[in-house]
Amino acid sequence: MSTFNVGDLGYMVPYLILAIAGMLVVMAEAFFKGSDRSALSGLTVVGALASTVSSIILVRQLGADERHVLLGGMLVADRMSYVLAAVFAATTAATALISPAHQREHGWQNGEYYGVMLLSASGMVMLAHASDLCTVFLGVETMSIGVYVMTGLRRRSKRGNEAALKYFLMGAFATGFLLYGTSNLLRMQSALASTSNPGLVVAGGFLLVIAFGFKVAAVPFHMWAPDAYEGAPSPVTAFMAAAVKAGAVAAMLRLFGTALGGDVLPFGTLGWASPLVVIAALTITFGNIAAVRQENLKRMLAYSSISHGGVLLVGLAALGLGSATADSAIVFYLIAYCVTTIGAFSVIIYVGSAKRERLLVEDWAGLAGRHPAAALAMTVCLLSLGGMPPTGGFFAKFYLFKAATEVYDGQLLWLVVIGVVNSAVSIYYYLRIVTAMYFREANEPFSPTRSTALVLVMGLCAALVLELGLMPGFWLRLVG
Amino acid sequence: MPGAFIPPILIGLPLLGAIFVMCTPKGESSLHRGIGLAFAALTFLVSLGLISFFNLRNPGMQMLFDVEWIPGLGAHFKTGIDGFSLTLVILTTFMMPLTLWATAHTIEKHTREFIVAMLVLEAGMIGAFVALDVFVFYVFWEVMLIPMYLLIGIWGGQRRLYASIKFVIYTMIGSLLMLVAIFYVYAKHGEVTGIYTTDLEALTKLALPYEAQVYCFGAFALAFAIKVPLFPLHTWLPDAHVEAPTAGSVILAGVLLKFGIYGFLRYAMPLFPHGAQVLAPYIAILAVVGIIYGAVVAFAQDDVKKLVAYSSVSHLGFCALGIFALTDQGIEGSIFAMLSHGLTTGGLFLGIGVLYERRHTRKLAEYGGLWKQMPVFAGLYLIVVMGSAGLPGTSGFIGEFLSLFGTFNAQETFPAVAPNYLPSPRILGALAATGVILGAVYLLYMFQKVFFGPIDKAKNGRLPDLNGRELSVFVVLAVSIILMGLFPRQILRSMEGTTKAFLSSYSTRLAEPDGPPHIFGQLPAPAAGALSANELKQTLGKLADDAAATNRALQAAAGTGATGAGGGAQ
Repeated sequence: MSTFNVGDLGYMVPYLILAIAGMLVVMAEAFFKGSDRSALSGLTVVGALASTVSSIILVRQLGADERHVLLGGMLVADRMSYVLAAVFAATTAATALISPAHQREHGWQNGEYYGVMLLSASGMVMLAHASDLCTVFLGVETMSIGVYVMTGLRRRSKRGNEAALKYFLMGAFATGFLLYGTSNLLRMQSALASTSNPGLVVAGGFLLVIAFGFKVAAVPFHMWAPDAYEGAPSPVTAFMAAAVKAGAVAAMLRLFGTALGGDVLPFGTLGWASPLVVIAALTITFGNIAAVRQENLKRMLAYSSISHGGVLLVGLAALGLGSATADSAIVFYLIAYCVTTIGAFSVIIYVGSAKRERLLVEDWAGLAGRHPAAALAMTVCLLSLGGMPPTGGFFAKFYLFKAATEVYDGQLLWLVVIGVVNSAVSIYYYLRIVTAMYFREANEPFSPTRSTALVLVMGLCAALVLELGLMPGFWLRLVG
Repeated sequence: MPGAFIPPILIGLPLLGAIFVMCTPKGESSLHRGIGLAFAALTFLVSLGLISFFNLRNPGMQMLFDVEWIPGLGAHFKTGIDGFSLTLVILTTFMMPLTLWATAHTIEKHTREFIVAMLVLEAGMIGAFVALDVFVFYVFWEVMLIPMYLLIGIWGGQRRLYASIKFVIYTMIGSLLMLVAIFYVYAKHGEVTGIYTTDLEALTKLALPYEAQVYCFGAFALAFAIKVPLFPLHTWLPDAHVEAPTAGSVILAGVLLKFGIYGFLRYAMPLFPHGAQVLAPYIAILAVVGIIYGAVVAFAQDDVKKLVAYSSVSHLGFCALGIFALTDQGIEGSIFAMLSHGLTTGGLFLGIGVLYERRHTRKLAEYGGLWKQMPVFAGLYLIVVMGSAGLPGTSGFIGEFLSLFGTFNAQETFPAVAPNYLPSPRILGALAATGVILGAVYLLYMFQKVFFGPIDKAKNGRLPDLNGRELSVFVVLAVSIILMGLFPRQILRSMEGTTKAFLSSYSTRLAEPDGPPHIFGQLPAPAAGALSANELKQTLGKLADDAAATNRALQAAAGTGATGAGGGAQ
């Protein structure tokens, strides 16, 4: 088991950079005087970008089928793990870029925020590498605990406290399921020879599905998400919606794609895939219908993110049922989804100010007349979330549903129909925002949060969203 | 291939224009209009190049352009022109500069954005007409939605928010089910051949089981039927038309609606011939219902724009009926009717724009006696109205006549393949023909209400006649309508070859027996020892025949024996 090899560290560079940078930031915080913590944000961006770059270098070095087992089987390094690591690290960098402006504007300049963010991201990278149930557990907890803290950082905000508490309690609840499921499966491993009990194993698979259902906010385990999204500061919401959701999906991808894939379970992958398809159908539908009725933008995006989680679950089910392209489709979807989400939230942060956060749909009336670039960026992101061409969101959905259609005997065809019909529903509420921005007149002038970094992220994300939709070939080669 | 670059250039030019306009400073509205018009006109001129490169003797795809787009998916950026798309592309590039010239000056707010939306819309429309890859087609199909949504939503009337959202949601729901069918065909083609591609030509070679074809055709048909729009999926159209600005209405009626019919011809019917055959009677009946319903409802409107919107429902019904008649005349007539409808309905909407600018109302009751005030406009508008009503000598007559003629002939043309092809085509044709009469009724009623009678509203007393710009637009339209009506031969010739090829390939593909997904003409032989139901029936029938023959022979022998014996006994 414990065969530590110094060479393994080379494959863990993206993870190590994030973890070390996180600890450095926490230490550096102690030396700061005054309230300005933007320098820490710079350090975080540097660390996260270094991790991104090292991941990309490793992706290019590894062959398509190359696979390294690290730390005696605890971690695995292949191209997918580094693509995912790059996504997490880049999302972290983007979040760190958009945070200082929000912190300054809304007066919550906690330096530990950045350290915790980096450590949480290191947990995600661990999930991307996970090949052992214990690693999965460690990764999930490292990721989640950091985010609980980030959610509750605005100590004086009642909403923030409520959100953090809810998030934490639900997360702890999910941890219970995760641990119990893990122990059931580990029992199978140890007792494989003698008294293997298929019931326990199937129950283990179910429990893991429930635990991750909480983490990706799948219906009916989604109740915490809208409150947590609304109560957390906007950059944290962006981080939660993009990176944390991607982290949980990455863990499922690892777990269900390798450990529980194939014939390990008594009923093969059907043991977990059959509850998963039901959950996916519920999640997509409920998330969308609930989003239609939301007036608050952050709540709307929370429900929309729930339904996007459902679409990702369709991809995971397709993976379990043997679709050859499902894993690359999921990774591509995660890339497009993270870019789009960060872009949308950066516009939200830009438009809001300390006096008026402008979180209601009607607050956005007439934005196109006053700030056309921001309105355009938001429109691109919203169209991408709704899956309209020529955006990345469209191609991601196209590719993922295509993978689900390829499942043997068209078993998931009904789920694909549910998915695409829901896309039409989702267009309705995304276009509500576009309608407000373009078709209505502004009541009062906007006082946006000025920040170069924010504008940079906004423009970059919008450009990337279009690039992902027009030239997805490059990205497909990366993930395929 | 010669001219291969023209279709991509036609897509690129408006986009380039849009980028140019976006780079100009805000508020320079005449500059925006000028650039927009210049690019639209340039696109039209380049599209005339299609005619010179077009080979009438080649029924297949011409001017093929093909570059790989998304290798992982097998999607190619593939475009081309054939007899179906040639005239429709030219209609698009013709209507766009005309519309911009006629209406852009009436747009007062956000001129720059207006021009950008129109040019992007044009690029999307041309792209969807020339695309030869289902993925590319789908992308362009959806890209058209957003500029139209903005056109209705920003520059529209009172209830524009409602109308714009309704337009998008309706179209999306239809097109998304089409997307599922695309996935299905794509996956099956990959399973059968091992090559995953979205190339239309390759996918057309795939023969699906009959049942799957019905579902897939249904999914495609829903998308296209909403776009046409067929009764009862037409309810978005009156709202969109009434709320859209004049330019939006002209393009919507003039070009966008044609994608429904074009989609049937280019995608739904070649891909799923058997599904088309099963569902054709229902679509034909809905088309006839739409023709009559649209006409009757149009007659009851007091809003001119609504009247013309319902007249589109009625006119497009002829086109839908014509293609599902599956005869030469039907299909050619249908495409001709689309071209004519583009010109005439575009003209009707432009005329309403002229009236609206002067009186700011669209109520029929508010008008009357305009002939005396605006004689030039009245005369030119009469030609447009007559073209729309299908008076002989105008373009409308040719299209409607041919598609009705095709419908009457439907049964005789296809007896060998499918005897029950259209349920009593003569009755359908006769019912549809009443639509022509009703069309004349509501259009002349509208014309009479607006132009004849005494001037009983004081505001109508001093209306200026057409100015130079409006005059030029209506002269161009009226001349085109009459020229198309007098010399339809040139246009019809361009689609003859393609129509014949379409019909022959359709009927051979229709004759393909049912079976698991396979490449057309290569039905896998059933496993040794297993007989298909059909063969079993044939074998049994043959055995029975043999037995009967043996029996008869035996009886005959016995009979002769008996008679012989009898004879011997006698």
